[in-house]
Amino acid sequence: MNKEKYMLGVFNDEDSLVEAFEKVKARGILPVEVYTPYPIHEILEGMEKKTRITHAAFFYGLFAALGILGFLYYAAVIDWPLQYGGKPFNSFPSFIVVTIVATILSITLLTLFTFSVRAKIFPGKKAEIFHERATDDKFVMVLDKDSLGENAAEIDSIIKEHGKIE
Amino acid sequence: MYKTEVRGKLIDGDKSFSQISREITAPINDKTPLWWYAAFLISLGMFGFGLYAKYITVTKGIGTWGVNNSIAWGWAIINFVWWIGIGHAGTAFSIFLLILRQKWRTAINRAAEAMTVVAVFCASLFPLLHMGRPWLFFYIFPYPNTRGPLWVNFNSPLFWDFVAISAYLLISASFWYFGMVPDFATIRDTTKSKIKKAVYGFFSFGWTGSSKEWLRFEGLSFVLGGIAAVLVVSVHSIVSTDFAVSVEPGWHTTIFPPYFVVGAIFSGFAMVLTLVVLMRVLYKLNDFVTDSHIDAVCRILIFISLIMGTAYMTEIFLAWYSGSEYEIYTFFKNRIFGEYAFQFWAMFISNAIVPQLFWFKKVRQKMWMVFVISIIINIGMWFERFNIVITSLSHDYLPANWATYSPSWVEVGFFVGTLGMFIAGVLLFFRFIPIIAISEIKSVAKFNKPRKDHLKHAGHE
Repeated sequence: MNKEKYMLGVFNDEDSLVEAFEKVKARGILPVEVYTPYPIHEILEGMEKKTRITHAAFFYGLFAALGILGFLYYAAVIDWPLQYGGKPFNSFPSFIVVTIVATILSITLLTLFTFSVRAKIFPGKKAEIFHERATDDKFVMVLDKDSLGENAAEIDSIIKEHGKIE
Repeated sequence: MYKTEVRGKLIDGDKSFSQISREITAPINDKTPLWWYAAFLISLGMFGFGLYAKYITVTKGIGTWGVNNSIAWGWAIINFVWWIGIGHAGTAFSIFLLILRQKWRTAINRAAEAMTVVAVFCASLFPLLHMGRPWLFFYIFPYPNTRGPLWVNFNSPLFWDFVAISAYLLISASFWYFGMVPDFATIRDTTKSKIKKAVYGFFSFGWTGSSKEWLRFEGLSFVLGGIAAVLVVSVHSIVSTDFAVSVEPGWHTTIFPPYFVVGAIFSGFAMVLTLVVLMRVLYKLNDFVTDSHIDAVCRILIFISLIMGTAYMTEIFLAWYSGSEYEIYTFFKNRIFGEYAFQFWAMFISNAIVPQLFWFKKVRQKMWMVFVISIIINIGMWFERFNIVITSLSHDYLPANWATYSPSWVEVGFFVGTLGMFIAGVLLFFRFIPIIAISEIKSVAKFNKPRKDHLKHAGHE
């Protein structure tokens, strides 16, 4: 990563970051990335990215539930039917218990895996750190110098007003 | 909606963000105190004793336990249900309070989740060893096999239980771990030690705190929180069906699922309280786990204790009202006034009466009293399970099958072993993992002060 290419705006608290972020955005410039010690909703919305992880989870759940019910039916009715205490082979109500729990397990594991892939958070990954204290107490906005264009001086002053440039 | 005025401050003292990181990671970065080594050694001793008891169980068989044909479940199932109950608080804390938007959960949820993972692990050992031939435990997985393929019985509550417990262990462990990833990154970036940087760097999975990561992290918490909420209710309901689906007097009741779930949350919250008081005293985290946090948990315990009392009374009333002589015998002649009266009254007094002391503000404010009551609740909940498992089995329909039960030293050793494992696990958690969720505490820190951005906006524009 070529650090020369980027300008870092470093802020001390959430409010200064959000204000500077909104002003920068009002000039039609979107920061490359914003690093914060905790999630800030104004930033997550302002970065104009959406996550579809919840939709993915819904479909994992749908297919897992159908798959598990199908498997229980196959095992207990088609493959090796056995009478347990006079209950029907397809004792649907008691299949529901296993279906619910196993569906929750499938959703959890698959969603975690999806998160890991999409957010690129996985064991052994080396962190690409722009600012050492972004996970501690600094709120860091990374701007691409080329994207600033003729607004450069203005952006400089916005950042300096709320925080500092590093 | 949450108001700081009602609950008191979430964090005491006007702390900067880096101060929060420093104070919470202090147990990891500072020198390990002497009491830690002493406590760890003792817990390892207990764990070792448990291992020996397990060795005896495996090599000689279940015959070394005090169980017999009538009372086949004994301490193993009592302790299993007890540990699972304790393990319930993690989900209840993180997820119910997350859904209810209770911001005070942030100081406690990490400890509650850690406790859950260790407690559920302890619990799972009991049915495993109770199988007698634990090396064949994989027979319970429904996998294509050469025995037919003969599948497991999907109508059996014991199979439901197996699915529920293993799913719960995996889900609570992954929920806990992913919550810690941002905090591991904080340690990686703030520590001065090279070894810690490498180790926590590895476990932080390359977390940087970028908006892309946080966005998906929030999505993930939303999904996991939403679906794991079901588990708070389902896991112990399923455990209760182990009893309720049978025809034993005192077990065969419809009150069991809610009764077990509430009991589980009760014992879990009591154990959380025990741990949190210890955290405060041992690591001086009073600023994060404030008096109002302790107060809030105590108030919840009063409420749950009232539900427990109601459940006990309901059971007794219905035993009488049903007119079933077996139910009347089990509840009145066996539990309240009979051979097991001590266990019954120990349960009733510790769970339904003693926690009522929390009505008094003076009691809620004295840490030692809170600690003692939380321990009493834990013991009371153990007696509840004793009461359910042993009394019903000891005197059921056929007087010819009546039996008494007392545990052998092997069973006691097994239990002591899991206690040792739990304490060791908690100590390791205290020492190597941020006890309080750092990033979550930072996100609620702003609620301590009046929002100055409104003033600023007015000034600037």
